[in-house]
Amino acid sequence: MAAIELDGVTKRFGDVTALQNVSFTVESGEVFGFLGPNGAGKSTTINILLDFVRPTAGRARIFGMDVNEHSQAIRERTGVLPEGYDVYDRLTGRKHLEFVIDSKDADDDPEEILQRVGLEGGDGDRRAGDYSKGMKQRLVLGMALVDEPDLLVLDEPSTGLDPNGARMMREVVREESERGATVFFSSHILGQVEAVCDRVGILGEGEMIAVDSVEGLRSAADLSATLDVTTAGLTDDAVDAVRSLDGVASVTANDDHLSVAVDDAGKTAVLSALENSGVEVTDFSTEEASLEDLFAAYTGDGHEPGAEVDA
Amino acid sequence: MSSDIEGLTDGRWLVIARKEFADTIRSKVLWILSVLFVSVFALPAALAQYFDIGQFIQSQTGQQVTTNLLAQQTSRLASALVPIIAIAVAYAAITREREKGSLKLLLSLPHTRADVVVGKVVGRSGVVAVPIAVGMLITMAVVLPTQIAFKAGGFVTFALLTMLLGVAFVGLSVGVSAATSTSRRSMVGTVGLFVYFYLFWNSFARGVGQLLKDHAGIATDTQLHVTLFLKLLNPTQAYQTLLTSALGTETYVARARMFSGLMGQIVAQQLKGSLPFYLGDGMALAILLAWLVVPVALGYVVFQAADL
Repeated sequence: MAAIELDGVTKRFGDVTALQNVSFTVESGEVFGFLGPNGAGKSTTINILLDFVRPTAGRARIFGMDVNEHSQAIRERTGVLPEGYDVYDRLTGRKHLEFVIDSKDADDDPEEILQRVGLEGGDGDRRAGDYSKGMKQRLVLGMALVDEPDLLVLDEPSTGLDPNGARMMREVVREESERGATVFFSSHILGQVEAVCDRVGILGEGEMIAVDSVEGLRSAADLSATLDVTTAGLTDDAVDAVRSLDGVASVTANDDHLSVAVDDAGKTAVLSALENSGVEVTDFSTEEASLEDLFAAYTGDGHEPGAEVDA
Repeated sequence: MSSDIEGLTDGRWLVIARKEFADTIRSKVLWILSVLFVSVFALPAALAQYFDIGQFIQSQTGQQVTTNLLAQQTSRLASALVPIIAIAVAYAAITREREKGSLKLLLSLPHTRADVVVGKVVGRSGVVAVPIAVGMLITMAVVLPTQIAFKAGGFVTFALLTMLLGVAFVGLSVGVSAATSTSRRSMVGTVGLFVYFYLFWNSFARGVGQLLKDHAGIATDTQLHVTLFLKLLNPTQAYQTLLTSALGTETYVARARMFSGLMGQIVAQQLKGSLPFYLGDGMALAILLAWLVVPVALGYVVFQAADL
């Protein structure tokens, strides 16, 4: 059964069209990534799913129920980490969780949830108004987890999180998915979506550009990053060593500079390989594959994704 | 919209009301308001006792000073102060959450928008009513050991009506807050209404009465009744005149006193023995209750249809 279905959804604010005839389906139990740059209409889509705004045309259903007619029944079974929220400054983290537990008539233990999202050591008893952005994000993720929801809607969940927080977020998404929950995960960062999602929908300027599996996404667009390395004297042996590494797609050597197309995990291996070959690395930088490249890959205009533009 | 039917859900609005109240307790507003109401209600009684005003009045007029007299005097101040406080407590009840974004957390949970509006009205009503009750209780404690005669019935009526006035303005303010998208607009709306009630409503009532007489040819009696009814529609005036009659003044005299001074006495003569039902105490109470309910309902309708 479909967890989420959008059927020809259009939303106009005055004469601005935020969404244009958007249709897609999220199957029950899958982790669905909703990818698009800021302003593409991701939050508007989520706001329609939560009945914060009403579509100008088209229909949206969750668990087979109309999102407007049965909004409350849907929200009984949904955990949400909205975008652009704020917490209640004067209430503690624990009070927030208790409020959600009361609201959902659930019997979760606030302490357990606080630990799960990494708010430990008395953080839960501090006023949420004094929390950092990352701590607020952890708290609201915790609020979304109350009552084991059938659907988790996470709008840009990594906002404000440090690398540890982002890892915790990915772990929670994986655990919830294993439990059987459907996860709808929006982001403007390719790497995050790629890391946790089964399928991905790509939204650009209010229109659905593509829905694809993550494998399909990987083959459609070269998702590798480009690692630029400056050395103090490059040798052919070193270049060969790098070329033979797993995850390295292509290597371009130019005097003492090296451009390596490599996936995220392989970057440190490249640097180690160079040093093991006796080459001193003086500087390096990486360039992530961009959403623009991805759009170009699906819409077929512009240059080929991942192609070198250096002369 | 079909989600209109969804409406209120059992206990959900109560969860919101409790959160509202808990949130406010932490802000110390409750304590500040309690101190304020204690000083407004109890201080005159304490001063009267200290300066022996009771004895003085009794020797001058032969009239015993009772809590009813105190209530009557205090109600003038209360009719301005209580609405201002209720507006301050409630005008941003919904707009602030909307601007900050916490409304998104609230409505991500299984609360309907009706739950939110009603929960806000109940929670903020508590924030206004509890300090009034505290003020009244302490006033009672101050008055009881003195020579001022304590009239329990009148005192309780005074307390309840003053709370109702506060709650009516909370309803009015939450209604406006539900219907507007920013706190600034909500403030302009609520404060504007209050100023209108306080400064301009009477001339509006007189003007309409005059207009109807001049152009619709209504009789002078009818003109008076219409003007009085329009005056009664003002919640602060409904509160004062209802309290006056509840404290023992004849109802027609209490209504006539909505005109001040000599005019009031003339009107009282005209009303004697022929007070229409729509100027009765029941109507005054209904009007106060309507100010609680109608703005909330209208505000809800706008809020329900709004894109957040």
